[in-house]
Amino acid sequence: MSDGPILIVDDDAFVRTLLCEMLADQGHPLREAENGQEALDLEGPPPRVVLLDLFMPEMSGMEALVLIRNRWPRTPVLVISSMDSERLVDEALAAGASGYITKPFHPMEIASAVERALTA
Amino acid sequence: MPEYWIGDAEGRVLGPVSLDVVQDLVNTGRLTEITRVSRDGRNWGTPAGFPEVMTLLVNAPAPDALLQAERQEAARVREQLRAMQGRPPHEIFRLDRNASVDAYRNAFFKLVKRFYPDRVRAQAHPDLRKAYADAFQFLSRLMVHIEKELSSGGPVSPLPVVRAVPRPPLGEDEPLTPIPAPPPQTARPLTVVPRSMTPLPRPSPLVPPAPDGPYSYQPHEFVGFERREDRVEVTIRVTARNSRMFTDHPLANLKTDGFFLACAKSLPLGTLVDVIFRFDEERREVRSRGRVILENTGGDPHKPAGFGVRFITLVDQDRRFMQQFVEKAAH
Repeated sequence: MSDGPILIVDDDAFVRTLLCEMLADQGHPLREAENGQEALDLEGPPPRVVLLDLFMPEMSGMEALVLIRNRWPRTPVLVISSMDSERLVDEALAAGASGYITKPFHPMEIASAVERALTA
Repeated sequence: MPEYWIGDAEGRVLGPVSLDVVQDLVNTGRLTEITRVSRDGRNWGTPAGFPEVMTLLVNAPAPDALLQAERQEAARVREQLRAMQGRPPHEIFRLDRNASVDAYRNAFFKLVKRFYPDRVRAQAHPDLRKAYADAFQFLSRLMVHIEKELSSGGPVSPLPVVRAVPRPPLGEDEPLTPIPAPPPQTARPLTVVPRSMTPLPRPSPLVPPAPDGPYSYQPHEFVGFERREDRVEVTIRVTARNSRMFTDHPLANLKTDGFFLACAKSLPLGTLVDVIFRFDEERREVRSRGRVILENTGGDPHKPAGFGVRFITLVDQDRRFMQQFVEKAAH
């Protein structure tokens, strides 16, 4: 497993803060990015998990997903979105997402999904 | 497969996705506003330049059709709830009889979100709202029951039926509640008196659940954002004593563009709030609009009752003034 951070990519500062709070107790380092490009510009070790919003300015989450998977092929990407279309889930999974979490989410759901991604 | 990129008024982009996905999102009301469309993610045009997208927008369900569909959906949910009651939990969640608590939780989260109360639009048929609330409540109680049974080492038994959903007489599976008039669009004033702030605990540990009690799965513990059309006006008199509403909450504070108001009256998640802060000592009034992002109705004794708001509109000058006020009050 990478010793890099859990990377949270969301244009909404509140969601980023919230996810950091939810994951703080797991003890992993956390990094935030406002959009896909900022995530891809991240230096240092590859993130161990990426939490990625789909609907963002600058670069869409689907585009970021493909580029993140190209840059860090071993890093699982969990998509978080309020758009719970089954077809969109299928397309995100086909594009390389390891999981899809719809909003609203429960804190335990996020923590559990990250743990599963880390041990997969 | 044809690929589309779509953009909204906030500059956000979704894509590439198929037209089927766009149709899904439009028909379910998840995507109500498309301001631009692209086929390659670089060259953009208005939706009018894409007849296939325009067709989806024009053919989005009309209000009457939506209400009719919601009545039918309410009947389906009621039937589904009746079928779930009394069944072994592992069957409800389609799990093995000896499934772990983690497996139950994962299955629960997948199923319960379908009935999350805020998924229902503001003007939805009341029967659908009630059916969702009943299903959500049943599944949440069931999950607490499962946590309790598994933590005590026993097998998971069905949840005792407290109040079965009555089966309507034949031919009467119709809405029981009249459709209410649309909510008023004008703001309702609400003047609240903040309680004295006590130090707020950090959010409770996330995993694992406390050994002395099972986890709770109430709607306010889920985090999400929905747009609503009704709004509330809140007037708050700010003093040096209660200025900690801007600093103490770990999630709703001035640094995260918000505040937490500890008060007896809470507001539902997602409520649009017009806030008027009256800084009497400074003879200044600050007006802003925000949205309720946190709610504690008092069910959790470890957290103060009240609600957290994130600002949508707050001018920089006012923000600076408030920061200075908070810093001054802290000394």
